[in-house]
Amino acid sequence: MSLMPPEVHAYWRETLDELARYPARPELEAIPLRSTAFATLYGVRLTSIGPYRLFGYLSIPSGAGPFPAIYYAPKYQSVLEIIPQGTANLQRSRYVVFSLAGRGQRNADSPYAAMFPGLLTDGIHDAATYVFRSIVADSVRGLEFLSSRREVDSARVVVVGNDLALITAALGSGATHAVAAPGLFYQTAELAARTSTYPLEEINDYLRTFPARAEAVRRTLAYYDLRAFAPRVSARTLLMAGAPGSLLDAQALKPLVDAMPGGATVHESEQSTYRDGLYSERWIAAQCGITDVQSILPEHWRD
Amino acid sequence: MPKTVQADYRSTVRKPNDFDAFWQDVLRQAAAIPLQAAVLPDPSRSSDDIEVFEVFYTSLDHVRIACWYCRPTRRAERSPAIMFLPGYQMDPPIPKEWARKGYVALSVAPRGKLRSNRQFNPGYPNLLTHNIVDRHTYAYRGFYVDAWRGIDFLLSRPEVDGARIGVAGSSQGGGLVVTAAAMRPEVRAAAAGVPYLCGFMDAIELTHTYPYEEINDYLRLHPERRTEVEDTLAYFDGINFADRITCPIVVNIGLQDNVCPPETGYALFDRIGSRDKQLFPYDGHGHDGGRSRHGAIMDRFFAQHLRGER
Repeated sequence: MSLMPPEVHAYWRETLDELARYPARPELEAIPLRSTAFATLYGVRLTSIGPYRLFGYLSIPSGAGPFPAIYYAPKYQSVLEIIPQGTANLQRSRYVVFSLAGRGQRNADSPYAAMFPGLLTDGIHDAATYVFRSIVADSVRGLEFLSSRREVDSARVVVVGNDLALITAALGSGATHAVAAPGLFYQTAELAARTSTYPLEEINDYLRTFPARAEAVRRTLAYYDLRAFAPRVSARTLLMAGAPGSLLDAQALKPLVDAMPGGATVHESEQSTYRDGLYSERWIAAQCGITDVQSILPEHWRD
Repeated sequence: MPKTVQADYRSTVRKPNDFDAFWQDVLRQAAAIPLQAAVLPDPSRSSDDIEVFEVFYTSLDHVRIACWYCRPTRRAERSPAIMFLPGYQMDPPIPKEWARKGYVALSVAPRGKLRSNRQFNPGYPNLLTHNIVDRHTYAYRGFYVDAWRGIDFLLSRPEVDGARIGVAGSSQGGGLVVTAAAMRPEVRAAAAGVPYLCGFMDAIELTHTYPYEEINDYLRLHPERRTEVEDTLAYFDGINFADRITCPIVVNIGLQDNVCPPETGYALFDRIGSRDKQLFPYDGHGHDGGRSRHGAIMDRFFAQHLRGER
């Protein structure tokens, strides 16, 4: 983490050291209802800092591995999906897939149940208590767990998600690729002031309620800004940018890309979940050496 | 390019003979339960232009339902209202955007959703198949009523013009829009995006993605229950509600929708009873349903029908 600003480095070093003090102690339980001829699904419980017990879904393809792996980092929503809505279930035939609920999400919501909206500003007045410090640790723990599985080909591990995907790839070890759609932690304070749309509107709501905490919020967010993590990202990265003219379009993300040692492929949204999703699916498959991606696409996306 | 979608697709769903009687009985049960609405200001989410409230009301089985309620600070004495209904996995949003357009807006969290899950919480995945062999206890029996009761709440509000209520939503929200427009004559305009909960048994053949895949999972484990599942779902299929819709309605679908097969959108549209109905199929779009282009159409539609604009 030496390429990070020193205070950011220290903050995350301390967080990861704390995480290392808690063994994951994973428990796996098969879920026959969601298992198929081509993949077995497990519910996984594992420990993160706090200590706090998390939950994830692990899907292992049938047959001899090792397999490429996709890690779906915690999303900004209450629901934990096995695979993202709209993804062909057959994706699970070719990849080990692990999706994790960060603390507060369903299945990991006891004792802490997150609110949406609400999570983004929970404890934000102090970097030491900000809930995302723990959620980042949760996400890193998920990557550690997935990377430890013998079914996983360690040369093909893709982290997919929002900002957490990039942060996890930077802080954790084992991610060879990342697909990230920034939305929470890139120039947050500045961009929030330019929108009234959630989730960034949560920041506006918070600052309207606690105007005296504006500087404290800015200080906390500085530990999370993707530009601070960028120099640490060695995974080959696909950045899913917003549509041209939107807050997080390719132009807006350019400083982030420039700060990444290997750069990144940037896909600017075509405002179509079909076109954007197809681009991402093909990119992941190509990076993982899967040549017949057609066979694992949703029916309505196939040629 | 993906294959052409069959626009004349016909659903296999059949309407049960006692469909109307079933739902009349459910409505009768619901009507016996007082709404007991509570409206709590939320200053932390309010601003100079929008007032935000948390709303709670009681629904079928005495389940307490949470909503977000927004109203423009500057508004007419009685304003048009929009009820927004959520997607399957979506956390119901605070409908500030609707309020900024001049509507009083209610965003409902039917049972099992965040903030409405204390008494009923089958989880996700699972909601779609919860008690799926029994129409009298199937998850969506109460879930549908929870959404429809939002109309009762709006009608109870002095700032709402009860003759100018619209409903909007996409995906599961689109399916709920269809049932709300069918069952609540007070709905004067409806916009259903990429409707889910329409053609369930068709969808599980046409696509293998979640959430519909939950039904395939269930039938793989319990193949002997297929008939019971089909029987139950026929009572909840939006296609079977559609002929009751008489208000103006717009429906948008994505022809590469990987969640709600566009074929089921066509089948639904064919069965909608309203004479004032329009379908917007968006080629090159998936479950977004062409939102980037369709938003302006929806805005004009509601402005015309709820605000009298031409």
